[in-house]
Amino acid sequence: MATHALSPAAVPAYRGGIYEWLTTTDHKKIGIMYVINSFLFFLVGGMFALLVRTELAQPGIQFFTNEHVYNESFSIHATVMIFLFIIPMLAGLGNYAVPLMIGAPDMAFPRINALSFWMLPLGGILLLMGFLVPGGAAAAGWTSYPPLSERGALSSPGAGQDLWIVALILIGTSSILGGINFLVTIFKMRAPGMTLFRMPIMVWTILVTSVLVVMATPVITSALVMLFIDRNYGGSFFNPETGGTAVLYQNVFWFYSHPAVYVMVLPAMGVISEVLPVFSRKPLFGYKAFIFATAGIGALGFSVWAHHMFTTGAVFLPFFALMTFFIAVPTGVKMFNWVFTMFRGQLTFSTPLIFAIGFLTMFLIGGINGAFSAAVPVDFALHDTYWVVAHLHYVLFGGSVFGVFAGLYYWFPKMTGRMLDEGLGKVHFALMFIGFNLTFFPMHMLGIKGMPRRIADYASTAGWNDWNLLATVGGFLIGISMLPFIWNVFVSLRNGKVAGDDPWEGNTLEWATSSPPPPYNFDRLPEIRSERPLFDARHGLVAHDTNAPREVEDGQKAIGAGPGEGREGQA
Amino acid sequence: MTGAVSHGDPHAAESGHAQRGISNPILGMALFITSEVMFFSGLFAAYFATRAANQPWPPEAFGELLEPLSLILVATIILILSSFTCQFAVWSIRKGDRAGFIRNISITFVLGIIFLVMQMYDYSILFGEGMTLGSGPFGTTYYTLTGFHGAHVFGGVLMLGVVLYRGLAGQFSAKHHDAVEAVSLYWHFVDVVWILLFSILYLV
Amino acid sequence: MSTSPRKPPAPGAIVAGGAVLLLIAIVGIVLLSPAGSALYPPPPATAQAREISQLYDIIFAIAVVVFLVVEGLIVWSIFRYRRRPGDTDLPPQTHGNNLVEALWTLIPTVLVIFMFAISWQTLDHVDAVSADPDVHINALAGQFQWQFQYLDKDGNVLATQRRAVGDGGGMAVPVAKSVYVTLESRDVIHAWYVPRFLFKRDVVPGQQNHFEFKVDEAEAGQTFHGQCAELCGTGHRAMLFDVVAMAPADYDAWLAKLVEAANATPPPAPSGAAVIDLAAQAIAYDKKTLDAPADAPFVIAFKNGDPETITHDVDIKGADGAVIANQEPIAGGTTGQYQYQPLAAGTYQFFCSIHPGVAAMEGTLTVK
Repeated sequence: MATHALSPAAVPAYRGGIYEWLTTTDHKKIGIMYVINSFLFFLVGGMFALLVRTELAQPGIQFFTNEHVYNESFSIHATVMIFLFIIPMLAGLGNYAVPLMIGAPDMAFPRINALSFWMLPLGGILLLMGFLVPGGAAAAGWTSYPPLSERGALSSPGAGQDLWIVALILIGTSSILGGINFLVTIFKMRAPGMTLFRMPIMVWTILVTSVLVVMATPVITSALVMLFIDRNYGGSFFNPETGGTAVLYQNVFWFYSHPAVYVMVLPAMGVISEVLPVFSRKPLFGYKAFIFATAGIGALGFSVWAHHMFTTGAVFLPFFALMTFFIAVPTGVKMFNWVFTMFRGQLTFSTPLIFAIGFLTMFLIGGINGAFSAAVPVDFALHDTYWVVAHLHYVLFGGSVFGVFAGLYYWFPKMTGRMLDEGLGKVHFALMFIGFNLTFFPMHMLGIKGMPRRIADYASTAGWNDWNLLATVGGFLIGISMLPFIWNVFVSLRNGKVAGDDPWEGNTLEWATSSPPPPYNFDRLPEIRSERPLFDARHGLVAHDTNAPREVEDGQKAIGAGPGEGREGQA
Repeated sequence: MTGAVSHGDPHAAESGHAQRGISNPILGMALFITSEVMFFSGLFAAYFATRAANQPWPPEAFGELLEPLSLILVATIILILSSFTCQFAVWSIRKGDRAGFIRNISITFVLGIIFLVMQMYDYSILFGEGMTLGSGPFGTTYYTLTGFHGAHVFGGVLMLGVVLYRGLAGQFSAKHHDAVEAVSLYWHFVDVVWILLFSILYLV
Repeated sequence: MSTSPRKPPAPGAIVAGGAVLLLIAIVGIVLLSPAGSALYPPPPATAQAREISQLYDIIFAIAVVVFLVVEGLIVWSIFRYRRRPGDTDLPPQTHGNNLVEALWTLIPTVLVIFMFAISWQTLDHVDAVSADPDVHINALAGQFQWQFQYLDKDGNVLATQRRAVGDGGGMAVPVAKSVYVTLESRDVIHAWYVPRFLFKRDVVPGQQNHFEFKVDEAEAGQTFHGQCAELCGTGHRAMLFDVVAMAPADYDAWLAKLVEAANATPPPAPSGAAVIDLAAQAIAYDKKTLDAPADAPFVIAFKNGDPETITHDVDIKGADGAVIANQEPIAGGTTGQYQYQPLAAGTYQFFCSIHPGVAAMEGTLTVK
């Protein structure tokens, strides 16, 4: 092997031509392409959100003279955000980080990995092509409940709904193949010494997520296939007129889509479980408890799907309510683990930590307002109102998206070899944090006062005007907050500070190789004796041997100057 | 543990990892089959829900149509037999018996094709009786379930064809035959699904 | 690393404590301010809603406490444990603590079981249906309107209220009486939602859902706005209805009037007026163009061939878009004689006011 003789430094950074990127099977390049692709779809989905918020800013129809286009907008907004942004973005971060974190040279099936990625833009294009066909894009909501999503004059007559189905099947298949790839990689490709209980939490969350993906995503594929047969071949699965059962779709759909919520949030939890210990200079508090909580959430996730269907009158309420409440327990365990990781630590407020704290504070709200919906009678009031919109955004935006950005700021130096600018990062955080709360907190008020989701207009006398206007202002602030981020990426790619191998004093193996790493990832691996191999190497196994001489530890610490500079930057 | 471990050569590292437990392709296939099981679970759940909501089942128009003691029983026996021959092929190659492997995998391949032909013939009879995908929940569920199973049989036959081709090219040995193991797992899965399908569609 | 027990609190601790107090103060002020009152449900109007509202208050109180405890810990940690330039030693490498971990597993478990128990209890009351309710209404939901059928004890339809909102419209109910509602849809899923009842239930085609409520006596004379809460297509936001609470005597008079109107024979069409035939089926008119004589009254004999839940009408718009003739919608499976005032010669548009924006439900009326 020619590469054997090369040291990482001798390998040129990612300057390969476009052809090399298009044909690559390197998990790092694929991971970066996942991230870029997902971010582009984030912008697309955000644009649709702003269209919706523009219409709702004031009572009356100002913007969507054809209300069908309004329905298309929120349907495509949610579909893009869930299936083309959050899930693949986290899969992309996992794709980049997991092989590095377990000391593997690549994913188990590199070519299938490339296939998984390329199905995403294809699916996205198919989905958006709906706007070009007669009847427009899918407009039955991201949930696409039949009979509204069936073919009919006033339901979904156009091919847009079919494109939506095909796109989702394609994206789902991509997820399944990705999940299998992650599982085999994690089970079979760990470096010597990396036992299961020495794996970084990020790897654990990807592991549980992949189990959810492999077990749940095929179920929604079956629902979509049945819907497609109903629409195109005269099937009668979900159409009551011909003997079908409308609620059946909801059961099958949510059997996937509730676990999918954990697919969307567990890896983000993994990200901040890496970020918090590094920037607190402490191990994660309760490592094993955290893993069991993650597995518990995954397992419970399969028994709560019907809490999206409390008002259908067709589900056994007490069972699903109890299971839903129980989910709060492992989630609470994690919350305390994170807080106690910071507790009595030494916090360095670099951008990744700030976004991680954003996750903690906002996800907490998203967890607490979930308890309202778990209480069935209260859910009778809140279901399908803006309260639910607030809840899901506090979980998926306040949680996952803040986690995604924590991860992007954290691994950008590893991906590119350069640091992102701290100042711009903090501006980005401040704008996004304020915009986020302005947008979504008022939605609690709107929901409890009775504003249903997915309406294009409301009476000016309903008392919803001010909150709606506030939410729209906040929405645009979120949009603006992306500008410093994008600027930051472009500027830092050219002129950013050179990162070095380990700018954050990281704990996990990806920081043991160069930034960016060579195609085969590692020349040498440090010894792995705990979940923090680099910490052990840096501090002379102080975690295991409390009698280790302090001088050695201090001497080594002087090498990693990164955090000190970060601290000055924010002061 | 004696310090740092060299990882210079990715392929050396890969083979080093792969020595533990089952191989990557077989684990990958097992996981893929898991996802397929969940896919069929969705369809089966829909079948039972639809059946419970529509009585009598089968509807009077198609009451006598799905007769277990007919061509379909022969097709079922053929598919079950093919599972055995597939397993014989695996045992042969594990012992290094390439001729036995090729003989058995060829039989499996041919039996798979015969099953598909018989299913298509069966469809033509049912179409002749006026039962289509559009004729109510009964037709919809029947053709969806058997159709997706048939598509999986077709996929399995393709995989068997590839394995047969590679076997003829001499690519498998007692030590190196992960693809054979993986395809046989898939073929058994397809067989089990059919036994379940046959039971619920024709017997229960 | 050891600290003497009598050391005064570090400046960091004072700042952090201040930050936590500030957090508590802000939450307190917000909750007591008008903005905070928007976090509580609207005043409940039914016995069931009152129970839901009480349950909401309990969960809200728990939520505020949990929020303050956890958010307070986060704020405390952020302000108290910054890394300072002199911090070269590692902080204590705490990997966990069995006692506190057991506590924060146990306490939330107890808390959620408590919340489950009280919500189940409330659910029992909210979902209860009396053996012999005083009023039985069948709410028919169709794209995109509500109709309310008033049934007698044997389930026969006495009369149907086809105006869901506005003057003389709405679902009238007597206060302090048990009202049993069944829900019916024949197209897509809708949801019956009245915010002040703190209640909604899906209207699922092929499945009959039901619920019961009792409006508080003090609410007589009140009108409660409701609307469809499950996305049902282009006109989803326009699928409004009112619930009008009446004193029982008023309600009886109202219902008697509705029954009388339902049984009355419609006035005959003015003799000599031109009669134009028009039918609608599958949410589409059978004609795209109609001709009418100028400056003379005319009649459209309209047949609604759709399912009962889907109503249509034939309204007329001028070239400037102003609505000239506004007719009462009729239910599917019925016919109506719509009478129109004389129109000047010109080109007009006829359309169904229930299905605005549906191209198949509009056409050109030429008056000459």
